[in-house]
Amino acid sequence: MRPLDENETTALFEKLFKFTGNNLKNIVENPSYEGPDPNAGRYCFRLQKNRVYYVSESMVKRATNIGRAQLVSLGTCIGKFTKGGNFHLTVQSVNLLAANAKHKVWLKPTSEMSFLYGNHVLKGGLGRITENIVAGDGVVVFSMSDVPLGFGIAAKSTQDCRKLDPNGIVVLHQSDIGEYLRMEDEL
Amino acid sequence: MTEMDTQEHQIDLGHLMAFDPLHHFPSPPPSREELVKECLQKGTVLVQLIADALFNLPSTEDIDGPLVKLPPPMTRLPREKHLPKPKPPTKWELFAKAKGIKNRKKDKIVYDEQTGTWKRRHGYDRVNDDKDIPIIEAKMTDEPGEDPFAKRQAEKRKRVEKHEKNRLQNLKQAAKVGALPSHIQLAATALPITGTQAAPKKASKNELQDIASMAAAATASGGKFDKKLLGEKPEKHKGKYRKFLPVVEGTGIGSQERQQTEKVLNRLISKNSHEILNVDKAINMYNVKKEKKRKNQRGKDSSTSSKLNPKKQLQKKSLKKGGSSKKGKSK
Repeated sequence: MRPLDENETTALFEKLFKFTGNNLKNIVENPSYEGPDPNAGRYCFRLQKNRVYYVSESMVKRATNIGRAQLVSLGTCIGKFTKGGNFHLTVQSVNLLAANAKHKVWLKPTSEMSFLYGNHVLKGGLGRITENIVAGDGVVVFSMSDVPLGFGIAAKSTQDCRKLDPNGIVVLHQSDIGEYLRMEDEL
Repeated sequence: MTEMDTQEHQIDLGHLMAFDPLHHFPSPPPSREELVKECLQKGTVLVQLIADALFNLPSTEDIDGPLVKLPPPMTRLPREKHLPKPKPPTKWELFAKAKGIKNRKKDKIVYDEQTGTWKRRHGYDRVNDDKDIPIIEAKMTDEPGEDPFAKRQAEKRKRVEKHEKNRLQNLKQAAKVGALPSHIQLAATALPITGTQAAPKKASKNELQDIASMAAAATASGGKFDKKLLGEKPEKHKGKYRKFLPVVEGTGIGSQERQQTEKVLNRLISKNSHEILNVDKAINMYNVKKEKKRKNQRGKDSSTSSKLNPKKQLQKKSLKKGGSSKKGKSK
């Protein structure tokens, strides 16, 4: 386990910024009431075996008691670094992103299952969409009952969405909570 | 017997040599072993004499023992290697001899007409350097697309190549006779017989230092407990090649980590701060306001109005006013 160095932190924050925008500050400076200390600590990012974990300070301190080979996971895993140094967000970061997302998309109940199987979001399945989405922005996908289903990249801006035909792709799928079942081993 | 020995033995300490000119075998010894034994006996006597003479010299103390400076040798030894063969005359020398051209001594400093100063003949800031020519006048024989400066450079390069070729040819002629100059002979013997023909590169001082420090660390304990020699510098790479922040500092996040995350965060936010102002939305709001203003103006100007119309207009106005105020708040 080690903290991220500057290049890694930059890569991580850039990915998160796509989804959260200025709410990234809230993620980084979140007070955490976990642990015996009555004062609220903060959350920090730690790297263990190419996986980035979002952990509270007190948890990190206690985790130093576990050896490197024995430590499997701590806190919430938010993503992985590839061998080439690129950062990918995994599905376990959905809750964190959902709380701080800037752009959201709500799916109709009929197309929820399609998204959970790994397909992209078509215009016909779109329930609501926040304004001012630019193509290429990070978007968090919700069901109509405000349950976060996953996240992806916006293929079209909000204006263009209105002019699309019903089978046009609106959100490119990146991760969904169905992956907990499909890719259990790779998480 | 001893008197005879000390008188007649010639001891040359410069060569560590002892010579007995009056030695002769009284009778040829019967067998090889007898001969060897007699030679050994005589040899030990002579070696003893050399040792005695050595210990009689003044000595200085050294770490390994007494150090003695030997006197210069007295006997002249014959040549070890052959006399150098005279090298065959080069092509230019033959030509000069045939034409009767004599070698003239050249000055190191020459007067430069262009600048009016004394410049050196070869080297930095020399007399007739190609790069000092500002203008080359075009002749009738020149083609329009050619670069005369590039042409001069190309000609010079060709000349230099020709000179180099001639030099190598001269060396080959000399090598045929066996009269190569010694430094070239040594360089040639350093070439490997099989494999690449390139000569091994000479390591620079810095390279040698690096290699030496790597070798010094190639012990079982990484060279940590070895005594350092005089002038040996400490190693550059202390083993740590990447610097990481401490995992836990204080109660979790340390000041360094905080600083780093803040720095990265601020950089990101400032890079994207141009998106804080939503230009499209601002334009929309401005247009809507303009439209409203225009409608209000028109409403005031229109004098032809029925009884119902003003009321309707008033209602609309109030709605619009309410709507616009709401919009203002939701900014």
